[in-house]
Amino acid sequence: MSKAGKPIIKLKDVSKRYNEYGVVVDALYNVSLEVFPGELVSIIGPSGCGKSTLLHCMGLLDRPTSGKVYVDGRDTSKISGKEIALFRGEKLGFVFQNYNLIPRLTVLENVILPGLIMNRDPVELEKKARVLLEEVGIHHRADHKGVHLSGGEQQRVAIARALINDPVVVLADEPTGALDSDSSLEIMELLVELNKNRGATTVFVSHDVEIAGFGRRTIALKDGRIVGDTREKGVNFKKVLKKLSTNSREE
Amino acid sequence: MDISSRLAIGELKEHKRIYAVIIIVIALTMTSFMLENAYLNYMMQVVDDTTKLVTSDAAIVDPSCNLRDLYGTEVELKNAGEIAKRIEENLPGYKTTIRVTAQGTYGLGVKGEAVDGCTIQGIDPERDNEISSIADKIVAGRFFSKNDSILRGHTPLYIEIKGPGNLPDFVYGTSERPLEGDKPYPIIIGATAAKMHPFLGVGKTIGLTLSVSGKETSYATVNVKIIGMYESGTPTLDALMWFMHADSLREIKGYGEITGKDWHIPGVGTFRGYNPIKVDHDRGDVVIVKAPEPLHKLNPIGYSEEVKEKVSSVFPFLKVYSWHDFLVYIAGSMQDVVTIMLWGSIAVTLFLCGAAIKYVMDSIIMRKTREIGSLKAFGARDRVIFKIFLYQGLVIGFVAGVLGVLFSLLVMYLVNWYGFNVEFIAGTQLKVSFIINWLTLLISIVLPVVLSVLAAAVPAKKAAMLSPVEALRKGELSL
Repeated sequence: MSKAGKPIIKLKDVSKRYNEYGVVVDALYNVSLEVFPGELVSIIGPSGCGKSTLLHCMGLLDRPTSGKVYVDGRDTSKISGKEIALFRGEKLGFVFQNYNLIPRLTVLENVILPGLIMNRDPVELEKKARVLLEEVGIHHRADHKGVHLSGGEQQRVAIARALINDPVVVLADEPTGALDSDSSLEIMELLVELNKNRGATTVFVSHDVEIAGFGRRTIALKDGRIVGDTREKGVNFKKVLKKLSTNSREE
Repeated sequence: MDISSRLAIGELKEHKRIYAVIIIVIALTMTSFMLENAYLNYMMQVVDDTTKLVTSDAAIVDPSCNLRDLYGTEVELKNAGEIAKRIEENLPGYKTTIRVTAQGTYGLGVKGEAVDGCTIQGIDPERDNEISSIADKIVAGRFFSKNDSILRGHTPLYIEIKGPGNLPDFVYGTSERPLEGDKPYPIIIGATAAKMHPFLGVGKTIGLTLSVSGKETSYATVNVKIIGMYESGTPTLDALMWFMHADSLREIKGYGEITGKDWHIPGVGTFRGYNPIKVDHDRGDVVIVKAPEPLHKLNPIGYSEEVKEKVSSVFPFLKVYSWHDFLVYIAGSMQDVVTIMLWGSIAVTLFLCGAAIKYVMDSIIMRKTREIGSLKAFGARDRVIFKIFLYQGLVIGFVAGVLGVLFSLLVMYLVNWYGFNVEFIAGTQLKVSFIINWLTLLISIVLPVVLSVLAAAVPAKKAAMLSPVEALRKGELSL
């Protein structure tokens, strides 16, 4: 999908520096990027390159050391700590590598949970959750406890949960990281389908080039810097990453 | 129901076993607190009631009297009738009674028995403030009746011997050998005294030597007939304190119009013979004051002091002792020590329970870090997370408190139903019973709630302050 309208997420010169036990680590360095409505963006890079940190900054789970993050046109650096939680709940949907379903809740309860946190009407939420569960193909297990589901099934529930509040963007951190290859493909196909059918803007992180290939746009990250950003299809990402990485070093 | 309470209930269900253990420990602690407190209340009530038999709410005595004299003062309170009247006039709702008191000795000449002492409260069975509480405590025989022969028509015969040189005069008297037609004075004794001395019993007549004049060695031995025995619940006081009719003591002490004349026997002293007496009901040794019932009974000591101050304000130059002054005199601060120890042991146990709640919640939060991170990612504010754990503390404390109260009520019911007594002094039995007051009940529920909420607040705050990204990262090691 090509650029359309104003960016939903915009990062401007975002840096994130950690200082742990006296060791300073630049997880992100002057990262600028824009994500537009309807995009399916994959962020790829080797382990420790700052992919998750980038996703956390985009998801307002972490504040950058410097630079600005705009979500839905709003400068989030000016939002107070209390408001940011509300903003996160309303505008963003999260999918985690380990699904993070609440084990004691049923599938249906897990899906409506973010809606309840936002004080939405439980009856409406349940109706909507059932529709979403049908869309992700897990409606028949709505009343089962989340822990009794397979990894692939749990991740489907997590995707439905991410969509319950109609977020402007879904952020997925290694959504297939804990799945076998078949389940991984199914989950990625589901994300592609939801992006296509619902227009759900999605940003996902993966260290796996094959999984990253599901993105319509791929951003490559290395050592906290963006070393590539392409909408090209059929690219050999291993080579691209290597090439971009080489170019980055030459620059 | 908000999201925090929904999640808190889920957490409680998930960790029901460990929380059940904590709840039971707290509940048992509160049961112990309730039982000890209710028993202590009962004991205090018994001692308070017994103490009030002597002083009512306050007692007015001659300025030369001290607390010890309340048992049986030897000094007449001048203008007792006027004092009693003015108290009632100046303090609306206050009731007064004049009592005559004395100290006695009995057992003189009884073979195989030691001489023992007692104090006599001379009461007016028709007007005394505490009459119902005395009458209700009769366990053998009967209380005074209108047909009782309470007057002999003369003071005891006694001889006054002038002390040689600077030595004091010695006055002694006797009525042990009654005049023809004399009947013994009716008396009600403590049941404990009868248990200690087999020669005492309902229907028996004994000689009782009484102090009859103020701060001097002046005695009269009279015959008394035991018409009843009472049990106050405090055997030590039962053994000591007996009741006679106030007019009997007035006659013995000569409080009234005495006619006749004295005979002087050279070298021996004065013999005051058969002198008919018309007793003066306005004369007595103590005016006891009954104050109106307080609005609440949460601070009986404070109310006692208030009554004392009010009475003192009417007669600033007389000695006024409150019921609590006398209580402290006879029981010391034993009750206070027991109360402090009770509270101390409860505090230690509750502190340990609080520590257990905090420790359990800390470990749960460590295991739930990722869940907390996820909730924050879904938009949960810090206070939503805080309340999840706080509500758990609230529920634990409340359930523990209610269970504690129910357990203790059950135990109290069973003990009351079975009728439990313990051995006390001189073969007496002390009844085990309970009095629950609203304060104890309130504390038993509020205390565990406050404790649990405070104990939960620390880990709850910690959970609430977790940054979402840290929580999500740390959580990857758990679950």
